[in-house]
Amino acid sequence: MGEEGVTIEFLSKEKLNAEEFEEKLELVLEKVKDDAVLVLEEAWTPEEKRHLIKNSMEQIDEDFPGVEFMGLDSSTSRLEKAKNAIYRKIMKEEYRSGITIVGNSRVMDKIKEERDSVSFLAKMED
Amino acid sequence: MVFIPTDRFLVLSGVNMIKRLKEFFSSLFNNSEKDDLSIGIYGPPNAGKSTLANQISLDLTGEEMANVSEVPHETRAVERKEKVEIKSDGQTLDINLLDMPGISTNVDFKDFTEHGIEEEDAKGRAKEATKGIVEAIKYLDDVDACLVIFDSTEDPYTQVNVTIIGNLEAKDIPILVVANKIDKEGSEPDRVRDAFPQHPVVEISAKEGENIDKLYQEIVERLS
Repeated sequence: MGEEGVTIEFLSKEKLNAEEFEEKLELVLEKVKDDAVLVLEEAWTPEEKRHLIKNSMEQIDEDFPGVEFMGLDSSTSRLEKAKNAIYRKIMKEEYRSGITIVGNSRVMDKIKEERDSVSFLAKMED
Repeated sequence: MVFIPTDRFLVLSGVNMIKRLKEFFSSLFNNSEKDDLSIGIYGPPNAGKSTLANQISLDLTGEEMANVSEVPHETRAVERKEKVEIKSDGQTLDINLLDMPGISTNVDFKDFTEHGIEEEDAKGRAKEATKGIVEAIKYLDDVDACLVIFDSTEDPYTQVNVTIIGNLEAKDIPILVVANKIDKEGSEPDRVRDAFPQHPVVEISAKEGENIDKLYQEIVERLS
């Protein structure tokens, strides 16, 4: 967190596509531990979100209480799941339409998620 | 004409359901090459996982299996009731009932001090809780079926819950969603249905034992 507020950083899909998931995860956690909130121009799969939770848990200490994350994608509908499966089969990569927001849980509060909207309060440190 | 008192009928019905549950586990046994089967109870912290685990364990073995508390992350390691022996039609089945630590994305030791726990103890609990969450996540690869339980007074549509369900779906692990705490004011089990319309939902109060027989019925009918 900067002196006057929370840094919100937007990462384009072009930048994200250029990296392997492990590198991306490392970059995300590094920035998040520095109190930034990241807006990623891609949806993460449940397996990738699972790695986010696991890796952040392994790094928790007195200064880093963990993450909050939100996602906007329609991967829960059967039609979207079918589209994703076809895309994966043909393109040999994940279908990533959507966005993912990840931040330090110390600076994200009042998380509100619905299928088509998400919001949070960027919290200033006490 | 013989009249059976309503309360007695309910007892008989419950006994019958436990018998059916045992038969269900036996059928899993018959269809599996594994020696035993792992049934995981997943969900966020304070959803009532340990209360439900105790209820099932008590019904099947006569013993409880976990501590229950209002303090979050009371279960900080996977609690196992291993080799729960079920006999049916001359066959014996061993199941492992796994009460998982509640999965969350953050663990702050201050969450424990708010419940009157001393700071040093709270820091120790926080560390244990993070290890428990990692262990629960790793177990997503090893369970054979899951009960995913939510507090029906809370909003179930969170990324943690979506992530748990999504990972189980990706591995084709049978899921039964449980909307718990229907005895509490503010309970809205329909929100659980709306959040996960692709899965069957059973409304229960694990604490009061309400609808546990329905849960057993759903386990038998849906997961098998």
